[in-house]
Amino acid sequence: MTETSHERWSEDVAAYMLGALEPEQAAELERHAEGCERCREEIRWLTPALDALPESVERIEPPRELRSRVMAEVRADAGPADAPAAAGLFGRASSWLRELGSGPMGLRPVAGVAVAVLVVAAVAGFAIGGGIGSDEGGATSTVVAGKAPGITAKMVSEGDSGTLHLDNVEQLPSDRVLQAWVQRDGEVEPVEALFVPDRQGQASTELPDMEDVEVVMVTKEPSGGSATPTGEPLISIAVQ
Amino acid sequence: MTVRKEKAERLADEELMPLIGEKDPEAFEVFYDRHGGVAYSLAYRIVGEKAAAEDVTQEAFISIWKSGARFDRARGSVRSWMLSIVRNRAIDALRSRAGKAPKLTFDDDAILEQRPSEALTEEEAMRNETASELRGALGELPGEQSKVIELAYFGGFSQSEISRMLGVPLGTVKGRMRLGLEKIRGELAEGLA
Repeated sequence: MTETSHERWSEDVAAYMLGALEPEQAAELERHAEGCERCREEIRWLTPALDALPESVERIEPPRELRSRVMAEVRADAGPADAPAAAGLFGRASSWLRELGSGPMGLRPVAGVAVAVLVVAAVAGFAIGGGIGSDEGGATSTVVAGKAPGITAKMVSEGDSGTLHLDNVEQLPSDRVLQAWVQRDGEVEPVEALFVPDRQGQASTELPDMEDVEVVMVTKEPSGGSATPTGEPLISIAVQ
Repeated sequence: MTVRKEKAERLADEELMPLIGEKDPEAFEVFYDRHGGVAYSLAYRIVGEKAAAEDVTQEAFISIWKSGARFDRARGSVRSWMLSIVRNRAIDALRSRAGKAPKLTFDDDAILEQRPSEALTEEEAMRNETASELRGALGELPGEQSKVIELAYFGGFSQSEISRMLGVPLGTVKGRMRLGLEKIRGELAEGLA
């Protein structure tokens, strides 16, 4: 490494560390520094000064709700505490669903229970009746807004999979998550991924296998999720 | 793998990261409790709004949760790595808000006034003291040096943008950045005496 080359880049070391170089310049400097011990030494020397900048900021206490939201999302992502088990458990879920008066085409709100019933309607070649996603063109579903408690939902399909977007979902305590369920041929199955609403009350989850699905539901569950639904659904969507 | 929270609390950050990489929520909770305060404070310092600072902090921590296994201890401390993630996300948020000018001074009186009086742990209080000393060192920088450092680090501006904003040659901006960081480094080497 020539002295001239080092001096050329040495001028930019401070700007590089402060994030003030354009991305291409930063990449060039990094390539140069790989072969320039003097530049690396300068970076090492100045690193404590850079580290001091964020540490110098006046501390303010983050809201407790922020911690709750972060940990709820973390626990949801950590996976079910009680892993999905026997089909019998799903059979119990199916019974639970029947108690709510649901069926492939007959889902309806339970009297006195704030259940939003949504109907996914056909749009632009989106095939319904054979199950969401039977259209390989990756069509988009549409949504009818739910009833109480004011949650609205949107389902987007891509091939055999889909995404469920919820809005106006109330904040959850840190030990609760949202879990989606699908019903196929009368049997209720959990969707693996758990999710939580963000600060704006929006929540989304992937529905990786929507073939032959008749009903989609979302419930509140303990952190880590459940093998069978433990509460009444926030929403139920009958897929016609 | 999951460790009890009491055990996780005794581990150094560098020892927590492998556990976080294995999706241990207890280890991550300890990590958040250690660093959530400074992360939120930094995010707020950059974006200037509590709601946006919350979003930035949440996104940064979830990003760390999902990429914890990628931490490279050869590139510095966990805390510095975490703060660089928060800073980058805060700058991104700042840039996405059209017309929002960054704050340009080290005067944090407004933030001080909004700080709740309770709930500071002893460790946080000590860090506050250190932060106060660091602010003192930064405050002793010549104004032209502190301004370019402020614009770059907390404002997310490139050296070329700063040159145009201040109407000074690019070389001058480079020089001020370098002199400013070297002065801070010198203060640190002397123990912030």
